[in-house]
Amino acid sequence: MVSVLELPSPRLEEWRWADMGALRAAADAPQRAAGVDPKSLFLDIDGPRLLFVDGAFEPAHSMPGPVTIARMAAESAHPLGSLAEGEGWTLSLDREAAAGTVQIVHIGSGCDSQVPARIALAESAAASVVETFAGHGWANRLTRIALGTGARLMRAVRLVQADGFVSIRDEAEVGEAASLVSIFLGAGGAGSRIDGAVTLAGKGAFAEMGGALLTRHEQKQEAAVAMRHAAPDGTSRQLWRAVAADSSTASLAARAEVARDAQKTDGEQSLRGLLLQRTATVNLKPELEIFADDVKCAHGATVGELDARALFYLASRGIPEGRAKALLTHAFVGDAIGRIGDEAVREAFAADAEAWLEVAL
Amino acid sequence: MLRIENLHATVDGKEILKGLSLAINAGEVHAIMGPNGAGKSTLGYTLGGRPGYAVTGGTVTFDGQDLLELAPHERAAAGLFLGFQYPVEIPGISNLQFVREALNSQRRARGQAPLSGGEFLKLARAEAAALGMDAEMLKRPVNVGFSGGEKKRNEMVQMGIIGPKLAILDETDSGLDIDALKAVGEGINRIMRAPDKAVLLITHYQRLLDYVRPDFVHVLEAGRITRTGGPELALQLEREGYAPVAA
Repeated sequence: MVSVLELPSPRLEEWRWADMGALRAAADAPQRAAGVDPKSLFLDIDGPRLLFVDGAFEPAHSMPGPVTIARMAAESAHPLGSLAEGEGWTLSLDREAAAGTVQIVHIGSGCDSQVPARIALAESAAASVVETFAGHGWANRLTRIALGTGARLMRAVRLVQADGFVSIRDEAEVGEAASLVSIFLGAGGAGSRIDGAVTLAGKGAFAEMGGALLTRHEQKQEAAVAMRHAAPDGTSRQLWRAVAADSSTASLAARAEVARDAQKTDGEQSLRGLLLQRTATVNLKPELEIFADDVKCAHGATVGELDARALFYLASRGIPEGRAKALLTHAFVGDAIGRIGDEAVREAFAADAEAWLEVAL
Repeated sequence: MLRIENLHATVDGKEILKGLSLAINAGEVHAIMGPNGAGKSTLGYTLGGRPGYAVTGGTVTFDGQDLLELAPHERAAAGLFLGFQYPVEIPGISNLQFVREALNSQRRARGQAPLSGGEFLKLARAEAAALGMDAEMLKRPVNVGFSGGEKKRNEMVQMGIIGPKLAILDETDSGLDIDALKAVGEGINRIMRAPDKAVLLITHYQRLLDYVRPDFVHVLEAGRITRTGGPELALQLEREGYAPVAA
């Protein structure tokens, strides 16, 4: 538990869109039944499974495999990440080891829950980690990731909490020819803040951080991600989609920094917002800071509404308006979810997006 | 089947259709020809129910039903098919998913059971083959990266799968080379030439009419039908242009 909560001020540029009021309200919310069955939140995929309820590891519902549980300090200077200390999990793999798909489910019943985590993959090790957030309250997470030469991590995180707030801070260092892909889906009723700081530290590293945030009612979700190219021949991808309905707000800030030595960097930022009603808001902030001279950094940022011509085309073939909107919106977020490599995980995320659309449209 | 009486319609507040009347019976193929700006496409979109095309007078009945009372998707379920002059590209939705959604939405609206994945795939493959469209294109996003001719062929594949009662085909011949024109023409005859079906071809040139022989040809000018004849009228228009015929 955090006794006195000091939160970043919206006067700071990096926090101007953050909904810290919703975070505080979630942390102060009284406890009540989470209302979800943890079994329904694990996907039908073989591999280690871990359940955390209100931030506490539940061994009776878990098969941790290579994942270890221990108290950990929050080794981060980040205003929210530094609060995530206590019982946490570590996935540490030796050279050329493979963990398969590790599933971690977090269920909250109110108040706050703090869980630090560490993923360390040695040379040529490979793992896939899928995390799911459900229930209520404020879930705060710090995940520190270190990938050795040629290591590969596929990470997929879905936020389907009914209400409350989820804040996630990822700090990653990607080694030579290593690959990190992190895809997020915000398709619940909770507010969110996804923070990422990824350093491409080794030559030829690949790093991707992206996803889809779907907001409705008065909800606010945001992602603020920075990719730092510190070595040559690195590739980074930031592909985010935001869909905002009603009076909600979705905000995306993506930054790419290319150091002087990081020649032949290939960076791409694609931030796109879709407003389902004109009372909704999408904020986009693409940023590039380039100090090397031989780099390729593509970037695009657009906000729009559903294409009226496409809607009429679907209607003229017999598809009712609500369904036509759902199909087009699903296609819009499909770009981002499609980056998830594992078909079963991708389909589960797509189903969550579909369920959200059915209610929102 | 379709009875249009004294139809007036506006687009952006400007009157385009100015008292158009037309009756199409089951088993007939009608062609509407006319110069640019006469209101040909407006007629198609108005019958399809496109937002922004406002009917300000007149009536349209389709199989005895007031067509103008129906939402666009209900018109489709009632058996109306609108072939687009410029079919829309829809990234992220495959042709198969799109047409299956369309067909099953229509079937549900009519109280019929939806087709299963297997049944639908068989039907879709057969139609693609009949129209000379590569079955791989069924898996691609709707019209994305298709040439003009491929888009029109795709419209016909959709029409074949859906099997409407009345097809209104807007400039289906534009953008087609001679082989595609022949394939599309044969498709229209095969799918729509039946005693219980009808076609309204909207076209600027008569070349499609070499393949789909109309029973009636109408000249649309300044929002009204100014002349009606048989197939020979189309040839006369091609030879002499619109001005002398109308005069």
